[in-house]
Amino acid sequence: MSEERGKPTEGARPTVELYHSEPNGACARVMICLEEKGLEYASHYVGALDFDSVRREPPRPELPELSSGEVPVLVHDGGAYTEASAICEFLEEAFPDRPLMPAQSRGRWEARVWQKYVDDGFAASVSELAWHAYGAPALSALPASELAAALERIAARERRDLWRAAVAGFGEQQLSRARIRVEAVVQKIESQLAGAPWLAGSQYSLADVAVFSYFKYLPALCSGVVSDAAVPRAMSWMRAVAARPAVRAALRRGRSTDPFTVAAPGPEQIRWG
Amino acid sequence: MAVELYFFQPLGSNSGRVFLTLLEKGVPFTEHELNGRAFEQLRPEYLTVNPRGQVPALLHDGQAFTEGAAICEYIDEAFEGPPLRPPQPRARWRMRRWCRYLDSDIGRSLMMIHWNRIVPAFMGARSREEVERVLSAVPDPDRRRAWLSAYLQQTPPAELAESHRRVQEAAARIEAALSGSPWIAGPSYSLADIDLLNFYSFIARWSPEIVNDGLTPHTMAWIGRMEDRPAVRALRAATHTPRPAAETA
Repeated sequence: MSEERGKPTEGARPTVELYHSEPNGACARVMICLEEKGLEYASHYVGALDFDSVRREPPRPELPELSSGEVPVLVHDGGAYTEASAICEFLEEAFPDRPLMPAQSRGRWEARVWQKYVDDGFAASVSELAWHAYGAPALSALPASELAAALERIAARERRDLWRAAVAGFGEQQLSRARIRVEAVVQKIESQLAGAPWLAGSQYSLADVAVFSYFKYLPALCSGVVSDAAVPRAMSWMRAVAARPAVRAALRRGRSTDPFTVAAPGPEQIRWG
Repeated sequence: MAVELYFFQPLGSNSGRVFLTLLEKGVPFTEHELNGRAFEQLRPEYLTVNPRGQVPALLHDGQAFTEGAAICEYIDEAFEGPPLRPPQPRARWRMRRWCRYLDSDIGRSLMMIHWNRIVPAFMGARSREEVERVLSAVPDPDRRRAWLSAYLQQTPPAELAESHRRVQEAAARIEAALSGSPWIAGPSYSLADIDLLNFYSFIARWSPEIVNDGLTPHTMAWIGRMEDRPAVRALRAATHTPRPAAETA
């Protein structure tokens, strides 16, 4: 289950490791960030259904963050880091060369607000639509008993509940709410790009990385509202991000031909208001 | 360098975290108290400040800033005064994880429990038709649904039970963190402590069976240290009960 890429560097330079699955969603955010920073890292691939694969790795009791099976998890200098927004801010601060945050406080505020939109609803909503389109059909090949046993192995209650709900399938009401949330963010992107080339202003930033990592699913999932005719600026922004060498390199580090045609259950929706 | 803040009383959660951050930094600001019971956050003049109709909002030199967590980081970056984020990247990562957990997970669980207790009374003497008319102006559909389900007492019991479970879990997690360090994210006081105070510490009064001297001594000692801070005292002095809806509707 483990694939080592990049060599641990010699001498005093700290090494970086990443536990990840396909380069989409939260994993893509961190993988793109690492490539943009030019950081070599050791890759540990965790298949979406391999809940216990991390436990089959050489045991690392010093890193309890790995035990939930949640990805991405970044390991640096003996410490583990979880949650994409916080990991990306950490990488920005620990490796300030090739900045991915605007220099001005106002721009940094904007970048953080975009990341919060992603964390508070966009990620969960896109993931629900992607799961419905790609994840659930892929599961149908698995025997039900094997799947049930796999779900039992998920340690964290919240994640287990999330998986169970996804496996049971999302109803039309939930999917239509997800579409409404997604469309609101897409409209916001389109209006932001009327006045600036990037989401947080004049400079490409963690905001673009975060939003792109989910947006890339949408032209196929919501073709009526995410198209060149409907949102031309958002579509050319998406192509500009996708064409960046670091983004291309990150998206090649998965196992599927197109990481945006596979899906795992995403983060949970904000539960209230 | 004019700074203005739009907030709700009594000062707590998102309004309280930004108010306290300004006090800790020593930033002077103009206060604009909005009356939540009169739904002043949905009035056109406020929607020009924040089209989402949510509080708080900060104005700095004419520019509007929204979203509590992002505002607090902005204040720490843009103004002189004691730093409210630890200098080391690992400690900052820890701080941001606490801030997000407190705001988006535990804060929302507590909000669900709290709203289900207070929203019917909060609506005062309004008829159901009036309540629905007022809430139809809430711009965000998820927020609108949350209001209505609290008002109609239709939040599914399983959801409320899950919120209570998460609060119990949080109490243990927070106690464990505070037993190893004086502040929630490590050796230095930070925005995470400000969030813990504003999103969580009131459960020592609401749910003393969960947070008390016997079960969670480190949390209680932390609350004591917080309440001794001059900025927190100033926050308490600035806090008052809002006028009831009947006087303002």
